[in-house]
Formats: sequence, structure tokens, C-alpha cells
Amino acid sequence: MSPSTSSEAVEDQKLRPFFCELDVLSRPDGSAIVSQGDTTAIAGVYGPIEAKPNKTYIEKAAIEAIYRPKSGLPCVPDRMSESTLQHTFEAAILTTAHPRTLITISIQEMQDSGGLLACAINAGCLAIMNSGLPMRFLVAAVNCMIHENGDIILDPDEKQLKESCAVMTFAFDNVNKNIVSSSTDGSFSETQYQEAILKCRSACDEIFQLYRDIVKKYAPSMG
Amino acid sequence: MAAQYKSIHPVKYYRDFLAQDVRPDGRTPDKTRTVTVNANSISTSDGSATVRIGNTTVICGIKAELGKPKADEPESGFVVPNVELPPLCSPCFRPGPPSEEAQVMTCFVAKATSGMVDLKQLGISLDNLAWVLHIDMICLDYDGCVQDACVIALSTALRTVKLPKVDYDEDTKTPTVHLNQRTSVDVKSSPVSTSFAVFDEEIILSDPTAEEESLSSARLTVVTDGKSIFSVHKPGGSTLTEVQLQDCISIAKERANLVNEMIRVAVGSVKR
Repeated sequence: MSPSTSSEAVEDQKLRPFFCELDVLSRPDGSAIVSQGDTTAIAGVYGPIEAKPNKTYIEKAAIEAIYRPKSGLPCVPDRMSESTLQHTFEAAILTTAHPRTLITISIQEMQDSGGLLACAINAGCLAIMNSGLPMRFLVAAVNCMIHENGDIILDPDEKQLKESCAVMTFAFDNVNKNIVSSSTDGSFSETQYQEAILKCRSACDEIFQLYRDIVKKYAPSMG
Repeated sequence: MAAQYKSIHPVKYYRDFLAQDVRPDGRTPDKTRTVTVNANSISTSDGSATVRIGNTTVICGIKAELGKPKADEPESGFVVPNVELPPLCSPCFRPGPPSEEAQVMTCFVAKATSGMVDLKQLGISLDNLAWVLHIDMICLDYDGCVQDACVIALSTALRTVKLPKVDYDEDTKTPTVHLNQRTSVDVKSSPVSTSFAVFDEEIILSDPTAEEESLSSARLTVVTDGKSIFSVHKPGGSTLTEVQLQDCISIAKERANLVNEMIRVAVGSVKR
């Protein structure tokens, strides 16, 4: 292997630069803006608020995720990301602490250059942390793709995605580093899938470390 | 007595059964229900199939229409899958516009089966005329794993489609349809979807019923043709380890081979 390709390979194992700001909006109980490379999403959490009678659970809080695309109204494919977001946050939030209420998590796409679902999950999780709702665990999502030549590339950008034969997004919890959600696009083999999980799991540590740094930075103002 | 116990404390009812490694319907946790496939059930459609998984019933009809190709893909036609969950199939659904679950399911089925047909073969004349396949899946009985039944029904129905030959006159812009010369659509892959439910955050139930789905803490769907995987869809819920995921994938692969054999036999019996 020539030195240039090996350095490229190292490059591919890195996540794109991760930037985050908390408390960016004044109305929500918690908000966060996250950008990973050029992909940016903003999230706001309202809750616990009064739930509509048809959405009230006597033993837990109802979680509602709203996903808004950059332009236009949410369409059918967006419903699928919305359902993934909703169920992921439902697992992360300690819903039994606020029975008969509703917690709304709104996520607005700002820019998409690959890995938007992962960015949305991370923004949502940071917004929930900012809101102070009790959580079972934190979630971090990592996006990866399988290149046409079989390589697994972590956190690809739009340009790299053009050469992909499959794209996967995984979300992990911070306690046991198990899989909270998995969503895939394209076809792949079982070994490729296992390899992708392993790579994304080691990358999620980096995101949890970033979460920690962010909380440290904001701890004085959040108190 | 059991019926009262079940309605008062459904979770405990299931726990008691699963402690004995059996489900209330008599299956072991990893056993799937019987699948029934019937090809060409609607004679008036261009392709159709009925699929039953236990009580779950989905009927799929395909209507081929001539249309104008999309501007960004002038040489190909397109497929429009749609899943309908009418109020007839379950008390959870009301009449009106498609529920959120139906929309999510439509999107899932479209994604899982996107690689089945090479859309170029549906093109007739560049930028002028192409086949549009409207694939409608209607659930008649909602008893869990409806998305699995939809994928199997779509795969079977697509194999029964016979498109008539069409000549397109570029000068007069008129198509001529030869109804007696029909060719089938070339289907590239054969995805089969298998769903799982996680009960009490640790027990994995294969092919859950609607009741098991509603009591579950997480759900997982694997789409595979026995070799390659087309989708591993786990929208949140309680966490799973890789080993558990691996077990689910192997169960799904085994079932995919069985179901694909079943589809082959069902489609073969129609052609005679």
C-alpha cells in the first residue's frame, strides 16, 4: 500500500468536525444546534407539557418527535426518520418520571451534506440534556457508508456518498454501548454490517467525549 | 380464568408463559408463524398476490399504466408502492387520510424493495413514454408483522406481472399496445422481511403478533434474500447487543430461503 492511500485510510476513520451550541433558542425548555461537517440540525425540546387526551398514557410520558425539512412540508420519507427519532428518544428519556404528559422534540434541518439522521439524533439528545429531563442513558449516532470497493468509511460527506453502495446510521447508548437504533439503505453482507457496527461503536466514544466537554463548558451557565 | 388474568395484567401473563419458554399461541420464542402465499389472486389486475402470516393478511395488486418518464431519468419508468391500513384491519385505525404508521410502512416497503426492478426496462421511448407500476398493498387483517407480509406480497405480485408490448410512434406521438404479446418483468432480487419484537428488554420474539408487538419494548426488522442484507431497521426502543442482532439475522436468512422457495412454487403454479 502506498503512503498516500494509507494516510487517506486514516483520514476516513475520523469523524467530521463536530460543533455544538446549547441554549440557542429562548422559548424551548432545552435547545441545541449541532453541525457535523456541513450537516447542521437545530433541536428544541418542550416538556413535560399537557398531553392531548388521545395521546395520554397513564404510566408514562408520550414522546413526540417533529422533523422539519429545510424547505417545504415533511413528506412520506421524512415520516420514517421521524419515527426513528421518536423511538430513539423514547428509549433514552425516563418517560415514567412524568406520567400523563407530553414531551415534544422538534428538529429542524438546516443543511444536509450526508448523515443528517445521525446529526438530528445527536442534536436531539443534547437538547434533552439541556432541558434537564431525566434520562435512562445518552445516545450518540454515527453515520457510515460502504464504498463500492468494499471499504467502510465513517461519517462520509456528500461527495463520498456518491460512491457508496450502502449507507448505515447507528445510535448507541452510553452505558453498555449497545445498539439503540439501526437504519440502513442499500445492500450489504452480514460481515460488512458487523464491521460497520464495530467501527461506529468506537467512533461513538468520541461523540460521548464531546458531549462531556460541552456539558463542562456550559455547566456554570446551566446551574 | 386465564382470559381475565390476561386482560388485567397482560405483561405478567406473557412473562409467565415466557418463563416456560413458550408463547401463549404455543410457539417457542424463535419460531415464526405459517406463511401462505397465493399468486395472481385478482384476475383484473396486471399482477397480484395474497399473503398470510398467521392471521395477518395482505393483498397486493399491481396496475401498469403508461406515463411520462421523470425529467431526471428520461430512459426509465417508475414504481409507486403504497401500503393501506384501512379501519377494517384493526381497531387502531380510523377512516381518513393515511395514518402515520401507514406512511412509515409505505416508506419502509419502498426502501426494502427498491432494488428489485431495473427501472430502465420499464422505459419505452426516451423522455416520452414509460411504464408506471402502481403497487397497492391493502392490509385485511392486522395481526403483527404487516410490513413482512407486504414485502412478500409485493415480491410475489411483481413476478406475476405481464406487460403488453408497446410500440411508440415518435412522429405522431401515439403508442400502439399489443395486448396479446406480453412479457414478464425481470426481477433482480428477492428480498424477504422478518420482524422481531423485544419483550422485557431481553427476550426476542420472532414474527410477533399484534398483541406481542404492542407489549414489546423494541422492534427490529431484517430484510434479506438469504445471502445479502437489504435492511436492518431498528427504530429505537430498548438496546440490543451485536450477538442478539446476529441471531436475528440468521433466523431471517433461514426464513428468507424458505419463503423464496414458497414464492417460486406459487408463481410457478400460476404459469401453467
